[in-house]
Amino acid sequence: MIVLEEAAYRYPGTSVWALPPTSLELQPGDVVGVRGANERGKTTLCMVAAGLAPVTIGGELRGRVLLDGRPTVDLAAHELAQRCGVLFDNPIVQLTGLHHTVYEEVAFGPCNLGLPLAEVRQRTQAALGLVEIEHLAERDPGHLSGGETQLVALAGLLALRPGNLVLDEPTSRLDSERSRLVADAIIRVAEADVTVLIAEHDDRLLGRVCGRVVELGQKP
Amino acid sequence: MGVALLTALAALRAGRARRLALAALALAPVAVSSLLINALLPAGGGGLTTAVAALLRLLGATLPLTLLFATTEAPDLLNDLEARGASRRVVFVAGAALAAVPRAQARAVDVIEAQRARGLDTEGSWRRRLRGVLPLITPLIIGSLAEVEERTMALEVRAFGAPGRRTLLHRPPDSRGQQVARWAMAAALALGVAARAVAVAIR
Repeated sequence: MIVLEEAAYRYPGTSVWALPPTSLELQPGDVVGVRGANERGKTTLCMVAAGLAPVTIGGELRGRVLLDGRPTVDLAAHELAQRCGVLFDNPIVQLTGLHHTVYEEVAFGPCNLGLPLAEVRQRTQAALGLVEIEHLAERDPGHLSGGETQLVALAGLLALRPGNLVLDEPTSRLDSERSRLVADAIIRVAEADVTVLIAEHDDRLLGRVCGRVVELGQKP
Repeated sequence: MGVALLTALAALRAGRARRLALAALALAPVAVSSLLINALLPAGGGGLTTAVAALLRLLGATLPLTLLFATTEAPDLLNDLEARGASRRVVFVAGAALAAVPRAQARAVDVIEAQRARGLDTEGSWRRRLRGVLPLITPLIIGSLAEVEERTMALEVRAFGAPGRRTLLHRPPDSRGQQVARWAMAAALALGVAARAVAVAIR
């Protein structure tokens, strides 16, 4: 569950509010799209909703942002990661680049939590299955297509079992075929009762996967 | 000489002799200049023995590192470091450093292609190339800095900052023979340092 109550945010060292006061509520299992022209704060909204702003990148937050009922500012970065996954538009930077195989890459998050090995393997397998990329498990993550890389990044987030997912233009760098794969994966994730917030330009994608779409800057 | 010989033997055993030979060949200009300075020029003063000793030191320092990177994949090295108790941040910084060069190369190619598409001339005479390099530097540096920020966030959303030890998916193999070889090398290094210290003290 993601709740923004008149949340406004400005980046460190700036006087301009990159995100004007915004209220939004997503119930468990909701898939909500966010539309808006460039520079309207879609990416900032994603960072704020996931707690990265201000917890990781600093800056000033006014209003409140709650993840599963807890204010994001009260959570450590690793606690946020287990409550809300964030997928950026550039899949390349989301992979660590330190692993031989997709399997190891997806297991990176659960390994970071220090979970027992059996649970790491179980979560990894489940995440690969949810995104339907089991066939990529032994591939080198550095030699995948853009769409495949984005799916691996998504699986890497899901392996942490977050109840919420924020996707910042997840298909903006992909062709229509790859976008379709990502859209299919988002639908499956939502069916698993994960709350999903998507900032996206692509109306077809929003129309296909979202229960409702809000225009940034307008009342939801 | 001992280190260089041991490295050559290890390279033969690992099937990387050709790679090692190429690395040794790359040192040829340094070796030639060392020989010229020490053996032929009166100002160098060291003579042939000094020149050969300098060359062997150079080989002893560079060949083991070359062999290490020729036989060990970066992820395996990092995994082993972590298995031996290095903190996750130390391991990641080491990994990021190893991956920095190929990433910078890939980014440079992207920037060059983007600038070419805008009509920048990056081929032809050296003057043209030099003129073409300057517009590449700013996007390369800014892009790299922006990527660092993005990667930092990407790590945070993968719970990289979680407390405690990470789970290791698999431990690298470490046979009895490898363990014995490591201890033997450490002992040889200690003996070498001691012998050197004694020799200096006697002199």
